Amino acid sequence: KQHYIQRRRRTKWTFARRHQTTWNKHQECSCRAVFERYKDLHVYQLEHPTQVLEWTSGNSVCVAGYSQSKNEILELRLPLKLLADENKSLCAERDFKVSHGGFTDGPVRCLTHIPGTRCAVTNDGLSSDLQVWDLGGEESDVIRRTGSIKGKRSASERGSRIAARPSSAPQVLHGAQISDVQLTELASGETLYKLETDSADPLSSLQFVSDTVFLAGCCNGSVYVADTRTSAPPQLSHSPSSAESVIWWTDAAAGPHPSSRRVIRVSSSGQAVVSDLRNLGGAGCQAQLDVQTPGRCSQVKVSWAPTLDDCISVSGFSGVVQIYNTRLWGAEPQEARPLFEHRGHAVSSQQTDDSVPTFVTSHIWHPERPRTLLSAASDGSVHVWDWVDPNRQGGSPTP
Amino acid sequence: MPEIKVTPLGAGQDVGRSCILVSIGGKNIMLDCGMHMGYNDDRRFPDFSYITQNGRLTDFLDCLIISHFHLDHCGALPYMSEMVGYDGPIYMTHPTKAICPILLEDFRKITVDKKGETNFFTSQMIKDCMKKVIPLNLHQTVQVDDELEIKAYYAGHVLGAAMVHIKVGSESVVYTGDYNMTPDRHLGAAWIDKCRPDILISESTYATTIRDSKRCRERDFLKKVHESIERGGKVLIPVFALGRAQELCILLETFWERMNLKAPIYFSTGLTEKANHYYKLFITWTNQKIRKTFVQRNMFEFKHIKAFDRSYADNPGPMVIMPGYCVQGTIGHKILNGQRKLEMEGRATLDVKLQVEYMSFSAHADAKGIMQLIRMAEPRNMLLVHGEAVKMEFLKGKIEQEFSIDCYMPANGETTTVTTNPSVPVDISLNLLKREMALGGPLPDPKKPRTMHGTLIMKENSLKLVSSEQALKELGLNEHQLRFTCHVQLQDPHSDADTLHRIYTHLKSVLKGYTIQHLPDGTVIVESIVIKVSSSAEDSNTKVLLLSWSYQDEDLGSFLSSLLKKGLPSGIC
Repeated sequence: KQHYIQRRRRTKWTFARRHQTTWNKHQECSCRAVFERYKDLHVYQLEHPTQVLEWTSGNSVCVAGYSQSKNEILELRLPLKLLADENKSLCAERDFKVSHGGFTDGPVRCLTHIPGTRCAVTNDGLSSDLQVWDLGGEESDVIRRTGSIKGKRSASERGSRIAARPSSAPQVLHGAQISDVQLTELASGETLYKLETDSADPLSSLQFVSDTVFLAGCCNGSVYVADTRTSAPPQLSHSPSSAESVIWWTDAAAGPHPSSRRVIRVSSSGQAVVSDLRNLGGAGCQAQLDVQTPGRCSQVKVSWAPTLDDCISVSGFSGVVQIYNTRLWGAEPQEARPLFEHRGHAVSSQQTDDSVPTFVTSHIWHPERPRTLLSAASDGSVHVWDWVDPNRQGGSPTP
Repeated sequence: MPEIKVTPLGAGQDVGRSCILVSIGGKNIMLDCGMHMGYNDDRRFPDFSYITQNGRLTDFLDCLIISHFHLDHCGALPYMSEMVGYDGPIYMTHPTKAICPILLEDFRKITVDKKGETNFFTSQMIKDCMKKVIPLNLHQTVQVDDELEIKAYYAGHVLGAAMVHIKVGSESVVYTGDYNMTPDRHLGAAWIDKCRPDILISESTYATTIRDSKRCRERDFLKKVHESIERGGKVLIPVFALGRAQELCILLETFWERMNLKAPIYFSTGLTEKANHYYKLFITWTNQKIRKTFVQRNMFEFKHIKAFDRSYADNPGPMVIMPGYCVQGTIGHKILNGQRKLEMEGRATLDVKLQVEYMSFSAHADAKGIMQLIRMAEPRNMLLVHGEAVKMEFLKGKIEQEFSIDCYMPANGETTTVTTNPSVPVDISLNLLKREMALGGPLPDPKKPRTMHGTLIMKENSLKLVSSEQALKELGLNEHQLRFTCHVQLQDPHSDADTLHRIYTHLKSVLKGYTIQHLPDGTVIVESIVIKVSSSAEDSNTKVLLLSWSYQDEDLGSFLSSLLKKGLPSGIC
């Protein structure tokens, strides 16, 4: 009898050891862990997955499908419970409200909202043409196509990147490769500015860092900074790595102070490089990110946290969204551990096809709430989460 | 044109009460009879004057169907049945029949006894009204009369909730009531077969929402409960015993087991004790998992959840108590709405020091759910009630695009008329089929539709299409032939034979594709129409054409006579 008991114990132990990772995952997903790691957590299932997440106001976001033919663009209002600060407990509404919706003829790979308007611009990833949309107002909940902007290329492998000018009359900066970048006025369709360069590097990011200065990140890791007011050639910062097959993604922190304007570049092999906007080639800090499947990724998104200093978020390597504190990074690349990982998409995946694991297609930070993010994955899930800083756990409530 | 008329008396574009009138195949059916909980006057009842200005409703309705026991679907039932007057059949599922009177009585007590209202139904009225109820089983076709039949389908949502399929002849309507497309811990998901109704009437309260997952709701709930318990506090969960209570009990029990918690959980006595009994009675209305485990142990008999006794109220915590649902007007209801000071009769004002959390666990269909249901049932038309028109244009467009069906969204009192296209199956006799097939080519040509001649015989309930000869034989009748003749005068100097030839040439050029023959006996034959020429007695230049045709060629014959009256074009030889 004793022998039998001993044998059983051993089996249990071996089982636990062999399945250490699953056990950890389990533990982390146990109720207590989920209670403590998140202040708020909302999980939604869209009918079709989205690759775009774009704020259209402080409490609404746009998503759109990317299947080959017809897709939907939806404007979703965030649940009232998440936004309510005073009467949060009396507010039972946890659902997204589809405030407006429309139909597209093709996939939507890029969606940009024009600030101060009810207008959005999309690109289908097949050419560099843009579609212009009216998101609708109070009288109707239908999103309608109002026009288009011709791009330079009728066929493009990745499509165009789009950036909206922060202030002034509605203008969009767009292009599929660095030599195509142009600034178009929406109302007239007139081209107001063109980036003068010969290089044909495809773009992976495009954003304004001030009202007239923009940053264009290429897939090969080089970064161009230019000003739309001048026709002077752009500043070029070469890629941190000369490796051929590596793709890079870039994000610039749009801070109020020039000193806080930093740029981060992340590669498909998990390398991350931070530099100052005014001195891109200079010494910054770097790290080797803890990504599960380096190399196998196409929709990496890297983003500076709008209100948390030095924090960045990365997604697209797997079904996880990671948050890192770059202050801990040094001049030499070392392995960095994430400050926080949101594993919800990987763990509770709705995907039926097991051969293709779920991966996060996009994520965004809430512009004001310090630790609130939205993330979307390839299985159609969309999560809204307010994470707890593990270093401050158990202390006073986070602001 | 055959049509179905739908008029929401309540619902339509007002979330508050459901009461929908359907006119189908000459039958009038009322779907649900709900009370609007937001009003205190007559506006809380549906406006029955739409059906008749005064007098009883019995003559105007063939039946009334109640989908489930929520007051916004059955609250006005005793008023309609006993105060306005209706003696016809009332259909609802067994659980609804058992639970409805409990809610109605509870509601009556609060309204009359506590609020002191007078124009309200009495306990006796509730009892009398329930006597008119005929209970329904799932998937069982019930003949209301010779022509009207109904069938109930599982709707999820609450115990006993049903979606109803209504059929008159070959026209049908499905009404969903409130339903839910995702199963929860104690109820299954709604299900219906591909019944292809002419109209699917669905609630759309949550049509423009994307619902937060059940797991997140549960997580939030358990987190709050857990935090209180850890602090040694007491948790009160007011919830209707036969609604979400069972769901929460199963959830709490599972959580207590997993976290090895010891704090007691109490159920208030009274209704909630009976709840167990009802769930055992209606076990077939719960989900599969519950039914499977029921064999081993009753999932509604909990290890950690016991009956409450008032004496426990002063026991120190931690504890969880589930009193019943807080009806409008009660202290509980006021606290849930955020009131922090309570004025008690004869006592001083009390400060509410409870931490109040309002959480929703209701099970409704969202946009995805509605699309799923449409895919299941495959209706020819869609009708949405309980929503706001302006906010549903996108959904309407989505439904119309994806399924190529019309989507209607009537307001209260607005009648939607849907034209139906009932297909009537008819047998065709083999002879007739063979004959018609022989006339044309091997394949039918959509560009050249042909008229088929036959006779439709309706005997008893069967319809048969046979050839005319066969029909005459069966009926023992003789066939009569009708032949028309007409004379047309024509000015033509040629000889009779030449004129005839000219006519022949003319017709050949005009009537391409028709069989035109010029016979040696001096006639021109177009299909079966005979044309002869003779000269007028007075004037040899005036020709008289004799046209003769049988009734079957009436159209062509008329055409020819008009054509020839215009005369022959010159240049014809």
